[in-house]
Amino acid sequence: MKFYKDHYDVIVIGGALAGLSAALMLADKGKDVLVLERHNLPGGIATSFVRGGIEIEAALHEMMSIGSRDHRLKVGKFFDDMGVDIDWLKVPEAYHAAIPGLEVTLHPGLETFAREVDAAVPGTYDKVLAVLNLCHTVFDSVNELSIHPMSKPQMLLKHEAFVKTAGYSTQEVLDTFDLPQKALDLLAPYWIYVGTGFRELPFTIFSVLMADYIGYGSYIPRKFSHEMSLKMAERAEAMGVQIEYRQHVDKILVRDGTAYGVRTARGDEIYADYVICSAYPNKVYTSMIEPADAVPVKAIKMVNGRRLSLTAFSVILILDKSAEELGIKDYSVFHGDTMDTNACYDELKGLGPYRYITCICHNLANPDATPEGTCSYSITTLPRVDGWKTVSADEYDRVKHEVAKQLIDYMSEYLGVNLLDHVLECVIETPMTVAHYTGMWNGCIYGYAHTMEDHIVARLQTAEEEHFIDHLEFSGAHQISGDGMGPAVTNGRKAAKNVLDTMAKEAKE
Amino acid sequence: MKVKGFLKDVGGASRVTKARLAAFENASPLPVMDDPIGNVAREWHPGKIDLVVTDVRPAGKTATTVRFERPDGKKLPPFYAGQFMVIDFPMGESLISRPYSISSAPYQARLAEHAFVEITVRRSKGDGFICDYINGSVEVGDRFRGMIGCGQFYYEPLRDAKHVVALAGGVGITPFASMAREIAHGTLDFDLTILYGSVSSDDITLKDELDQLKSDKLHIVHVLSGDEPNWNGERGFLTAELIQKYSADDTTYFICGPQVMYRFLRGELAKLNPPQRRVRFEVFGQAKDITAFEGYPQEVKDKVFNLTVVRGIHEDVIPAKATESLVVALERAGIRIETGCRSGECGFCRTKVLAGDVFICPESDGRRAADRDFGYVHACTAYPVSDVKIKIPIE
Repeated sequence: MKFYKDHYDVIVIGGALAGLSAALMLADKGKDVLVLERHNLPGGIATSFVRGGIEIEAALHEMMSIGSRDHRLKVGKFFDDMGVDIDWLKVPEAYHAAIPGLEVTLHPGLETFAREVDAAVPGTYDKVLAVLNLCHTVFDSVNELSIHPMSKPQMLLKHEAFVKTAGYSTQEVLDTFDLPQKALDLLAPYWIYVGTGFRELPFTIFSVLMADYIGYGSYIPRKFSHEMSLKMAERAEAMGVQIEYRQHVDKILVRDGTAYGVRTARGDEIYADYVICSAYPNKVYTSMIEPADAVPVKAIKMVNGRRLSLTAFSVILILDKSAEELGIKDYSVFHGDTMDTNACYDELKGLGPYRYITCICHNLANPDATPEGTCSYSITTLPRVDGWKTVSADEYDRVKHEVAKQLIDYMSEYLGVNLLDHVLECVIETPMTVAHYTGMWNGCIYGYAHTMEDHIVARLQTAEEEHFIDHLEFSGAHQISGDGMGPAVTNGRKAAKNVLDTMAKEAKE
Repeated sequence: MKVKGFLKDVGGASRVTKARLAAFENASPLPVMDDPIGNVAREWHPGKIDLVVTDVRPAGKTATTVRFERPDGKKLPPFYAGQFMVIDFPMGESLISRPYSISSAPYQARLAEHAFVEITVRRSKGDGFICDYINGSVEVGDRFRGMIGCGQFYYEPLRDAKHVVALAGGVGITPFASMAREIAHGTLDFDLTILYGSVSSDDITLKDELDQLKSDKLHIVHVLSGDEPNWNGERGFLTAELIQKYSADDTTYFICGPQVMYRFLRGELAKLNPPQRRVRFEVFGQAKDITAFEGYPQEVKDKVFNLTVVRGIHEDVIPAKATESLVVALERAGIRIETGCRSGECGFCRTKVLAGDVFICPESDGRRAADRDFGYVHACTAYPVSDVKIKIPIE
C-alpha cells in the first residue's frame, strides 16, 4: 500500500501553529506540501480537550498580533490573507495586576493604559506614556525591518530608537525613565509572556510585547485554540496540503549536506526537496539527523550555548459556580508577591512554591465557554525546566499534586473562597504533559531564553551562519521570534519564506 | 533618544551579536541528549508495549483474571487506580483492540521484579467473543501489545471527597478492586465503601481477593438481587435508600457497571441530589443496540453501506453495517485504527468524515465544538446511515 506520493516539494514536521503557518504559506505559493504530526489532531498545545462533557482550553491565554477587523496586525492579517476565518473574541482588559498593596485593572490603548497607571500612581502619566511610545516606535521598526532589511546608516536615520536601544536590557532602558517603583510594577506583569527577568531581557523584546498587547489588545478564538488550529489545518488541506496525523518522524535524511526526506517511526521513507522541522535543534542535531556525522560541531556548540526558556504548569479547574458568584472579576490576572522580575525568574528555577501566577477565567472573555452556573479557571505558572528535570517518574505524581495544591491554595486565599469546594473537573498540566503530547524537548514551550547573549537582533544577524544543513529549516518557539502562539505563526512563516527564497535563488543558478 | 551615550548606544547591535558568537564559541562541542522531562513522559506514556501473560486464574465462578508482565519483568508504566488498559487481540488478519479496567493496583505495576497488571474479564452471555476468548483460550506465555493507564475514572484528591461510595455492578468491580488494593497498600488515601450489586453469590467477581482487604478504610457490601435463601447480607438493587445508608455528609460517588445500571442509578442518585461534582460515571461503553437510541433512523438499520477509507493517498472501499460503528467496520476489514475507551470520550479514534452521514450515539458524544463544525467524529460511536467516506491516520 502506498500512502505517500513519491516526492513532495516540502515536508513539514509538526502540525502545530508554526508548521501549519509554513504549510499555508507554501501551499499559497503552489508548493506540494506534506505535514506529519505526531498527535491525532493539529495544534500542539494550541488545543482543547473535553472532560465530563465540558470543553476546556489547554493552553492559550491570549493571542497577540491579531488586531481588530479594521486594523489587523501581522498574525491577524496572515489568517485573513490565507482564508483562515477565526471567530475572534476581544479580551476585555489588558490585565489585572494583583501585587501586595496594588490591585489595578489596566486596559489596552497606550493612553488609556498610561491614564490608568497614573490613577493608581499619580504623576506618572507622561513618563509611562513615554515608555509606551518608545516601545511602539521600536515595535514599528522591528515590523518594518523584518520585511525590508537595510544598511546600518540607513537604519540609524530611520530607526534611531530601535538602533540605540538594541544593545540594552529592559532594565537598563527603563532605569533612564526614573519611574516610581509602583509604576514599574504595573508595567512589569507581561514579562512572563517573554520569560526572562528584566536584567537579561532585551529591550527590543519588551517593546514588541508591550506595543502589541497594550497598543492593540488581545484576542481568543470562540471555540478555544482548537478552533484556530483546526481551521488552519482544514484550510491547508483545502489548498492541497496533505496532513497525516499520528506520524512520528524519527530521522531527517541528509545527503551531501542537504536534507532530502524523512523516515517515520512506522518505517516510511518520504522524500522532498526541503524539510521544515518543528522539533528542537537540540533533538534534531543530537538524534534525528541521518547520518549523524552530517551534523557539524558548530551546530552542537550552538545548541549547547543556548539556555532553554520556560515550560508550563497549569491547574485548570471547572468550578460549579459562576465567576461572579466566586468573585472572579477579570479575564486575566497576574499575581506576584513581588513584581521584581529578576527575583521571579530566579524562583522559577525550582519546584515551588511558585509566587508569580497567571490566572485566566475564560468565561469573562467568552461567556459561553462553559455551561451556565459554572466557570473555567486556569492557574498557571511558567517554571524554568531546571527544577522539573530532577523529577523522576516515581516522584512525578506527588510533585504534580503538591504544586497544584499550592497554586489552588494561593488563589483560594486571594479570592477568599476555598476553590477546592467547587471543583467539577480538575486537570493538571505539567512540563511532562507538554512533552507527552507534543514531543517538545524537555516540555519547553518557550524555546530559548531571550537574553542579551541570545538577542533577537543577533538572531537575525547570524541566522545565515547558523544554517547548518541545506534545505533544512526550523520552525517553532526555538526560532527567531521566540515563544508565544502569535510568534509561532511568525516563526513558521519565516521558515516558509526561507524555503521560497532558496527555491528562487537555486532556480536562478 | 539617549540611553548611555551616542557611541555606546549605536554600537548595541554589534555588541549583542559578538556576545552571541562568543557564547557559542565557548560552548561544549559534545552532543548532549538531555531530555529527562521527555523521559518521564515516555515512562508514563510509552504507547503500546509488549506484554506477556504470566498467570491466568479464576476470579469467581464466572470471571477470569489475566496477569500481564513485560517480557523482561521490568516496571510497567505508572497509572491511576481506576484507569483502563487497551489490549490488541490478533483475530485472523486483523487486530482488535479492547479497553479493560485494570483490576490490579498501581504499586504492583512498579514492583522492582515481576511488575504486573491484571484485568478481570467476565464470561459473556453470548455477545462478546473477546470475553469468551479470554475466558477460554488465553494461556500463560501468550503475547499481546497493550497501552496502560487510560481514562479519567480515578480518584483525584483535589476534586473528590474523602469518603467515597463506589457503586459497582457485575464486572464493574474491577476499577474499585484496583483502588481497594492501593488503599490496602497505604499508597492511596480515602475511605472507600463498595456497594457491589450481583444477581447471585455465584456471580460475585473477585470476592475472596477483595474480602481479604477489608479494613477501617475499606468496606465491601455485597448486594444480591436474586432470590437466595441463605444470604444474610443486603438484598435488592442499589437503591437510593441503600446508597444513603452508606453515605457520609460529603461523599463522592463512583459508578461502574452495565449500561442498564447507569440508567437506573441516575434515577436513584437524583433522589439523593448530590452536587454534580460528587458523581462520577465510568464511560458508557459501546452501545449494545444503537437502533434503540432516540433519533436513530430506523429505515436504514438493515442496510450495509460502502465505507470509503482514505489513508494518505490510498483508498479502500469496505462494507459497513448500519448497526455497527465505523471502528467495527474497519476492524472487520482488517484496517487498523487506534482506539481507546470505545465510548466516544477519549478521542483516540478521531476521524474526519469527508462525505456521507453518520449517526452519533447520543450517550457518548465527547467531541470538541470545532471538530463538530468540520465533520470530525469519534469513529467508535459513529454509525453509517449512508455511504460514507472517511480519512483516518495511517497506522
